[in-house]
Amino acid sequence: MKLMHTSLPEFKLKLQMAALKQSPNKTLEIRGIENLKSAKMQSLRTGRIELAVEEIARDKDIDKVEVVVMPRVPETMHTVIVKGIAKDGTAKKAILETINIIHPTEEVELADVKEIDDRRPPLGRH
Amino acid sequence: MACLTVRYIRQGTGPKQGAPINIAFVDKKDVESLGIGVEDAIHAIARQVAGPVGINVFDMEAVTTTSDGIMVEGAIVTMAAADIGEVHQEFGILHMEELEVTPELIEEEPHLAQWEKYFKGKKLFRGPAPHKKLIPVHNAVMTGRAINNNSATEMMNAVTMEEILLPILGQLQIMNDGPVVFGITGEIMSVGIGMTVAEKYGRVFPTRQFRAGDTAHGSGEYAKNVKSNIPCIVAPKSVLAKHILRALNAGMVPGLHISCSPAVLAVASAKGAEIATYNITEKAKIELRSVGVDVDKIKPKAPMSDEEIIARADEIIPGVVDPVLVNSSEIVTKLEISV
Repeated sequence: MKLMHTSLPEFKLKLQMAALKQSPNKTLEIRGIENLKSAKMQSLRTGRIELAVEEIARDKDIDKVEVVVMPRVPETMHTVIVKGIAKDGTAKKAILETINIIHPTEEVELADVKEIDDRRPPLGRH
Repeated sequence: MACLTVRYIRQGTGPKQGAPINIAFVDKKDVESLGIGVEDAIHAIARQVAGPVGINVFDMEAVTTTSDGIMVEGAIVTMAAADIGEVHQEFGILHMEELEVTPELIEEEPHLAQWEKYFKGKKLFRGPAPHKKLIPVHNAVMTGRAINNNSATEMMNAVTMEEILLPILGQLQIMNDGPVVFGITGEIMSVGIGMTVAEKYGRVFPTRQFRAGDTAHGSGEYAKNVKSNIPCIVAPKSVLAKHILRALNAGMVPGLHISCSPAVLAVASAKGAEIATYNITEKAKIELRSVGVDVDKIKPKAPMSDEEIIARADEIIPGVVDPVLVNSSEIVTKLEISV
């Protein structure tokens, strides 16, 4: 079976391995997906990100690789579930609401970067 | 090389933490007179500022509406956000949509009778067309730290999370080099801005979601705190009164044609004008009562003249905490930017 998506733990492991492949002294930090507990990551892009991590880690001047994951579309829409849990642990009532969150765009991470290679396809061409 | 005049408010100007990002206003006519495009001008401003900046482009010959449904001269036609000298390729610029004012549109949106009476022939702009923007909900643009929201009437810093409210009348005062009031929004303004009129391609809502007499907040007593502690730049109350009176004099009825915000109700009450109390929803009444406005107890008073209302606007119209009247020249620098 061809796996089209990568599990979240496997995604993290793959990026660590891509950095360590260059040297056991290279470190890698992933930021931006700390609150994800279970998710399937796009496999095609996982491979390309592994390649990018390896390429960055290959540079002898670079000690640490930071992988920052942020919303590409800077307004995300979320469902909010307000749940009431009874003393016996059962969920008695829930109210569903929605909230839209605006995020900073990538420039906040790029201000002091000397060389930028933007490999993202245009929106809608993924 | 030609120079473009930009009205510029530096980040940090104003009360509390002040403007959360830099603010740049430009007249479309000035851009066109240089033979360049609006987007070229935006990129030139972005490069010059090199930090977080919200950029609003005005057509001072066009008209728009306030959130109350009051028609005003001068409209924002393009909004932008820039940071580190860049304008985000996908989310950095948004153009407002010109609306053709037809008898059918006026029938759907009766507050446009003001256009028929005072501004016939003028172009009308409010928000963008929803199918031309890429983000799902807000009429917003963003680049890095800079966010320009609600069709350019609210600017934010996505990192410090500070915000400033820029109602259109205050922005037009700046474009006309007039005085403005710097202050903190407060509970009355927080309730008032939720009382909108139903508009296609509106500044905040793309469809006619909330009619006159209703509230977009719909959050009961929480509405007064939703936007109550934010720096704002607004027009002096005499200017606001003049615009509300002009709408009332066109036959606009608060709660029916135009909003039932505390400011509109206060002016209508002082004038002895009709208020469509019967059309104001219970949700809106709860929010109004939470800031001391009980529409069911508004009693006819001895009507004041328009001139008297304008002269006494500061005592008649409630809202804005710790207001400070300043000439816009005290907070605005006119930059000449090479393009």
